[in-house]
Amino acid sequence: MSAPLLAVDDIHAAYQSGVDILQGMSLAVPVGGFVLVIGPNGAGKSTLLKTVFGLLSPHRGGISFDGRAIAGLAPHEIKRLGVSYVPQELNTFPHLTVEENLRVGGWTIRNDAARLRARIARVYEIFPVLAERRRDKAGGLSGGQGRMLSVAREMITEPRLMLVDEPTVGLAPNLAEQVYELLQTARQSIPTTILLVDQNVSDALRHAEDVVMMNLGRVKAAGPVVEFGEARVRELIQECLLG
Amino acid sequence: MFSTELVVQTFISGTMIGVLYALMALGITFIYSIMRMINWAMGEFYMIGSYLQYALVALLLGPDLWWLAIPISAAGVFLFGLVVQWSLLKPIFRKPPEARDDYATVVTLALLLLLRSLATGLAGPNQFSPGSDLPVVMVGPLPMAGARVAAFVFALVALVLFYLLLRYSWYGLALRATSQSRVGVQTAGIDVLGVDRIAFGIGVALAGLAGALLAPVFLVYPTNGLITTVKGFEIVVIGGLGSIPGALIAGVLLGLIESFGAAFIDSAYQNIYGFALVLLILALKPTGLLGERGREA
Ligand SMILES: Nc1ncnc2c1ncn2[C@@H]1O[C@H](COP(=O)(O)OP(=O)(O)OP(=O)(O)O)[C@@H](O)[C@H]1O
Ligand SMILES: [Mg+2]
Repeated sequence: MSAPLLAVDDIHAAYQSGVDILQGMSLAVPVGGFVLVIGPNGAGKSTLLKTVFGLLSPHRGGISFDGRAIAGLAPHEIKRLGVSYVPQELNTFPHLTVEENLRVGGWTIRNDAARLRARIARVYEIFPVLAERRRDKAGGLSGGQGRMLSVAREMITEPRLMLVDEPTVGLAPNLAEQVYELLQTARQSIPTTILLVDQNVSDALRHAEDVVMMNLGRVKAAGPVVEFGEARVRELIQECLLG
Repeated sequence: MFSTELVVQTFISGTMIGVLYALMALGITFIYSIMRMINWAMGEFYMIGSYLQYALVALLLGPDLWWLAIPISAAGVFLFGLVVQWSLLKPIFRKPPEARDDYATVVTLALLLLLRSLATGLAGPNQFSPGSDLPVVMVGPLPMAGARVAAFVFALVALVLFYLLLRYSWYGLALRATSQSRVGVQTAGIDVLGVDRIAFGIGVALAGLAGALLAPVFLVYPTNGLITTVKGFEIVVIGGLGSIPGALIAGVLLGLIESFGAAFIDSAYQNIYGFALVLLILALKPTGLLGERGREA
């Protein structure tokens, strides 16, 4: 196997010193891969993504992206290296228009107006609804459209790695399926690599290649999806919940 | 007794001073909307602006170039604001947001005391006046002090520039976005602490500009920012914390109420009328005229 795009190595991270949420978490994401992280509520899945993106810095362990140590860098520096992060919460600017939201998403390429225009046009091609509503305030979008905008905004820079946190929470099943297809689209069209956190295990498993099961801030089990099967994954989740 | 002429004159002078108060309020509200903190040392940035204006006019440029001193004073306060954000506030904002605004309160209150003492130490408790050789201007049939008219015109120009920056520049887009979601701008690859720095610089420069513009009217001394700051906060309460249009509307409203109160009730209580309006607003609409939500605890 070639060197991974993202390698998280035994990291410990806390919001308040003394209370480690990540307690020796490790994982590797291969170039072009689709890795799914699952685990019970409070396992530290969101914290893992925040730490990779630099919103939280690990006090122990290392993170490398494309062979470069990134632990301790600020989020805007990590973004510049080609990492995008779609948070669990809706990530739009409600009082800006859809188009302004996308322009903010293109901040790092703002000095190349032609490229920015082309990228926004491409996003509109993939999401015609956003094109229709380009002049509307993002706050007026439906839940599904807001999700779309959150993801689309992070595609503008054509990142090499996308960190995506529970993108289908609160969505109707058909919309949820659209979001997974959208991630697949991003993966193939950019092309990019995906690290997805999801509770919607059975659907997400159909799209992922590898699965990492997290509990109490570290890995409980990990491997290719084909070797796990949904039944086995459910068993593991049960075990975590029972302690 | 209530001549039309007096009403018109009161209206004009109230609007003119109101726009200057609005500069102060805009600075407070703008910094809050980006950084979610109150800068309690706002009056001291006003004070620095007024001293810079006085020093430039008295020692360097001469009274004829007073208009050139104004943007230089404001720019000086802007640069000082950048230094304050970088040295005192950024270290707090780098950590997770726990009790961040409490720290910011303590830091800016300490800065207030430091800057006042420094002004007294350096220039003494004396009052200075950059004077104004601007002639009395006729606004329609009414005579107005030249310095006040000039201050009003400068303030309007500054407000227009501020609007254009926010509305049409990339930096303005980043500022507007930051006021809506700090995480959102970070995912976009914007250095949010850099945005804070610019926002703090602009916010205090608005106070510095007000100080420079009002120096000939309200004079220059270590605590001269106090009254204007109190008015700035009154406006923020009336207009709604974090609302830019609210600051402008409430600023003019406060100026009008003061002038009319002074002209038709009693000028001795000029500083009380605005306060009465604050109480009224707090009773009727505690989030202010255009404030949408209460402050999250
Ligand atoms: N900003 C924060 N400050 C303090 N503690 C936090 C913060 N965010 C999360 N935590 C705590 O960290 C732990 C892990 O939270 P995290 O959000 O990473 O879990 P998760 O696996 O994403 O859960 P969920 O499936 O509910 O999204 C929880 O105990 C949570 O209470
Ligand atoms: Mg989570």
